[in-house]
Amino acid sequence: MANLATRWAPLRLHWRLFARSMAAGEYKTLLLALVIAIASLTAVGMLTERVQRLLLGQANQLQAADAVLVSDHAIAPTAAQLAQQYGLQTASTATFPSMVSFGEQTSLASVKAASASYPLRGQLALLPPAQNATLRSGEALIDARLQAVLGVKTGQTIQVGQLNLTVSGIIDREPDAAFDFSSLQARLLISEADLAASGLLGFGSRVKYRLMVAGEEAQLEQWQASMKPKLARGESLENVRESRPELKQSIDRAERFLRLAALLAGVLAAVAIVLAARRFALRHFDTVALLRTLGASQRKVRAILFSQLLLLAGFAAVLGGALAWLAQTLLVWLIADQLPAPLPAGTLWPWGWASLLGLVLLLGSAGPILLTLAKTPPLRVLRRDLSVNVHWVWQYGITILAMVGILLQIAQDIKLAAIVGGGIVLALASVALLSYGVLHLMQRYFKRGSPKIALRQMLRQPGLLLAQLAALTLGLCGLWLLTVVQNDLLAAWRAQVPANAPNHFAVNIQPEQQAQFSQLFVQAGLPQPKVQPMIRGRWVLHNQQSVKPDSYAEPRARRLSEREFNLSWGEEERADNQRVQGPPLNQQQPGWSVEAELAEQLGIRLGDVLTFDIAGMPVSAPVVNLRKVNWGSFRANFFVIGSEVMMREQPSSAISSFYLPKTQPQLIPDLVRAMPNITVIDVGQVLAQVESVISLASAALRLVFVMCVLAGLTVLLAALDTNEAERRREAALMRSLGASTRRIAQIWWLESLFLGAVAGLMAGLVAAIGAWYIAYSVFNLPWLINWALPLYSALAGMALTALTVGLRLLALARTTPMLMLQAD
Amino acid sequence: MIEVRNVYKHIDTGSQSLTILHDIDFSVPAGASLAIVGRSGSGKSSLLALLAGLDLPTQGDILLQGNALQALDEDGRAKVRGQLAGFVFQSFQLLPELNALENVMLPLELAGVADAEQRAAHWLERVGLAHRTDHLPRQLSGGEQQRVALARAFAPKPAVLFADEPTGSLDSATGAVIADLLFDLNREMGTTLVLVTHDETLAARCSHLLRLQAGQITEWLAADERTLLETAV
Repeated sequence: MANLATRWAPLRLHWRLFARSMAAGEYKTLLLALVIAIASLTAVGMLTERVQRLLLGQANQLQAADAVLVSDHAIAPTAAQLAQQYGLQTASTATFPSMVSFGEQTSLASVKAASASYPLRGQLALLPPAQNATLRSGEALIDARLQAVLGVKTGQTIQVGQLNLTVSGIIDREPDAAFDFSSLQARLLISEADLAASGLLGFGSRVKYRLMVAGEEAQLEQWQASMKPKLARGESLENVRESRPELKQSIDRAERFLRLAALLAGVLAAVAIVLAARRFALRHFDTVALLRTLGASQRKVRAILFSQLLLLAGFAAVLGGALAWLAQTLLVWLIADQLPAPLPAGTLWPWGWASLLGLVLLLGSAGPILLTLAKTPPLRVLRRDLSVNVHWVWQYGITILAMVGILLQIAQDIKLAAIVGGGIVLALASVALLSYGVLHLMQRYFKRGSPKIALRQMLRQPGLLLAQLAALTLGLCGLWLLTVVQNDLLAAWRAQVPANAPNHFAVNIQPEQQAQFSQLFVQAGLPQPKVQPMIRGRWVLHNQQSVKPDSYAEPRARRLSEREFNLSWGEEERADNQRVQGPPLNQQQPGWSVEAELAEQLGIRLGDVLTFDIAGMPVSAPVVNLRKVNWGSFRANFFVIGSEVMMREQPSSAISSFYLPKTQPQLIPDLVRAMPNITVIDVGQVLAQVESVISLASAALRLVFVMCVLAGLTVLLAALDTNEAERRREAALMRSLGASTRRIAQIWWLESLFLGAVAGLMAGLVAAIGAWYIAYSVFNLPWLINWALPLYSALAGMALTALTVGLRLLALARTTPMLMLQAD
Repeated sequence: MIEVRNVYKHIDTGSQSLTILHDIDFSVPAGASLAIVGRSGSGKSSLLALLAGLDLPTQGDILLQGNALQALDEDGRAKVRGQLAGFVFQSFQLLPELNALENVMLPLELAGVADAEQRAAHWLERVGLAHRTDHLPRQLSGGEQQRVALARAFAPKPAVLFADEPTGSLDSATGAVIADLLFDLNREMGTTLVLVTHDETLAARCSHLLRLQAGQITEWLAADERTLLETAV
């Protein structure tokens, strides 16, 4: 028993020192910083994770599944069996063109034969909406176009191949219509069970097979991973992001927004921890000296010190986790109305990460000091002036490394991490230079009285002054980026998708039909839509070398290079098509203008010669410029645009994008009846998804912001707390020497106004410029620098520091110099 | 018990080397009490620090119960202190966040003593603070804090007790009570006492006296001579 008690004795001592220090309030700033850091990172992480899942889930509705295997031949049953083994749901479709007839009328339609479980995500909506949308053998669902062309009604029988099918409903919306290129034609949906009997799938039929899969993320990933190496030629796994550039852009932006918020919360929390941790470590000098005097070895002292840190981190992890859970539950409850669907459950990973980050920062910033602290000479119990010096590399190097690690971990994007990290370094360097310059200038002019004392006090410990300025600047800067700037960025993003963004595309408009097409709009009282030429071409040569899709490592690049391009000519520059490299096209000389992201993926540079096969004839020209396209504009956009001289005479049709209000549903059937060759594509669903991504991201950000503000305030608190004890002692000494409260107040006010003004000004400047840079380079959003921000920021900084001086003065009025000196 | 042989202590002040202790040579037997007296800056506290192994001499040897302190490393000296020495300081040096009982338990726990709590409670009772065990230092008067420090010093049953101006921060009445307690406990426990003090009356209660001036011994009275002296008076 005695042995056991002896073995546990050190642990009891560690725990007691921790518990007593906690009760005495010794660790309050550090604990607060840690709890807020862990809580904000966890809440932000959990919310981001849940919102991202929801976004992806919503986006997946556009492909009617979570993952899709597309193939140009029948898919082996093993793929579906494997998915089912992983516990995933499956559905399959086969799509091909075929003639459909009703009495005398015939029309080419895109036939989709689907299994009963189709769709796995989203819904098949029928007209009128109350109808049951199940696919039964012997029945067919048709869309409004086919209905208009054939003049068929529900309940009547149509012929497809050898099948006679009863029309059981009219399709209003197919979830995956926007992903299905064949939806350019009228649609006929039949049951998979009738496919064999139709006799339509003979040799040479152009059939696109899809195996759709849905289920848990982990199982999905496993299935995709095991499918990848087994993909045969003509088979590919499709991803919703790759298939719709406008959706990819908006989801990517939403993720970047959330990540940026998490990053700022992380940086703020880290600064608070670093400040408080240093103070924690330095407070332990006397304790260590006493422990050494009483016979504790360096190892034992280190064990005691680090046990304090670990206990503190553990305690903060529990508290922070609980707080985060509460916060995000509350937040989710508050935005429940704004969500398109309930948020999926989150995991504990963000909490684990946040706790680990907290521990790393704590060990990184306090660890080196504590390790050195164990070497405190025991003689310090007799001579308080003795201390140990921690080498600066050791002291700050590990902190900086920990910070960089955290930046990279949260940002998961070197560019974003570099911008935030660079912004921090720049802000700190400017603060140091500015304050140094201003203080020395002021010293020249103020040679007596309170200003002189205030200046002397600040210059006496330049390191401390800089640390406080730095923390204040970062705290304020983070707050501005998260509040003012974030709101403006969101507004700029929203403005990218105009209220009446085009929700329909019309393709295959023949040159002679353009006038009639426009006329129909005018008759309906709608603005004339813009019509652009569209020419189909296959990319065959790149710098005289034939294009080999297999030579691209990226699957997306491979697919892009394989597919037939929609080319155009004429207008290459407008608000949503900005030239980023190279001069404008000279319409009288051959030349291509290529979308910048595509060029990067396919390794196309300015000056490269591209050859397209257009209607059997090669058309060659050099790449003259690269364009950045805002896909969110929902106008007809082209990856490749040629100059007029080489495109004008090519066989072309036209494409148009237009906004059709819900109040004018008649226009589409009118268009189709008047010009049956024209195909109208409804992108309203994609547009709605993009809008829901934006509103979801903004709702989530508003909530994340609450946590970030808490983190920012903790930094400010920690910064102002760094020399609170010293200030108290100074005041007591000054009062013992006869200084009036008024004089002390004057000195403090001057100091605080200086600190607040310099830090506020720099924070405002860095936030304003940083926001511009982030908007420009990370989000691709148009942006104006808000020059009023530095001014407001300086005023806010002064108000904040003045508030702390007010509190300090209150404490001063309540105590005597004796008590204050003793308290120290 | 304590042997000091030709000890010198120099310190570098940057531009020059200052000798703060010069050729110190004496020994104190076990169970004796030594008062180190002298003016401020004479080197008293520096000598105490050397005797307790809190600092190292520049030259010479110090043996604490046969342990040559200068031959040990920092941890070795800490071990010797943990096994042999107790401390009482002018500024009490209690950990502010621990209560009286826990402050007394601290050296016992560091030494891995199993019944630290019972022993600490017993020693608090001995110094008359049984009723204040759960009070924090700031809730105790100066005299009470020094009693806690005495209990902490005696609880591990040290062979040597180092006391640096133990009554220096107290008023004379409280100081006298603390001094009585210190000498009583010291006698009872048979501890060797090394006491640094300004107070001549306190010094007079020790069996040995060492007077320092500018780092040199100017007076040394061992037990026999003191007895003779007192008899003569």
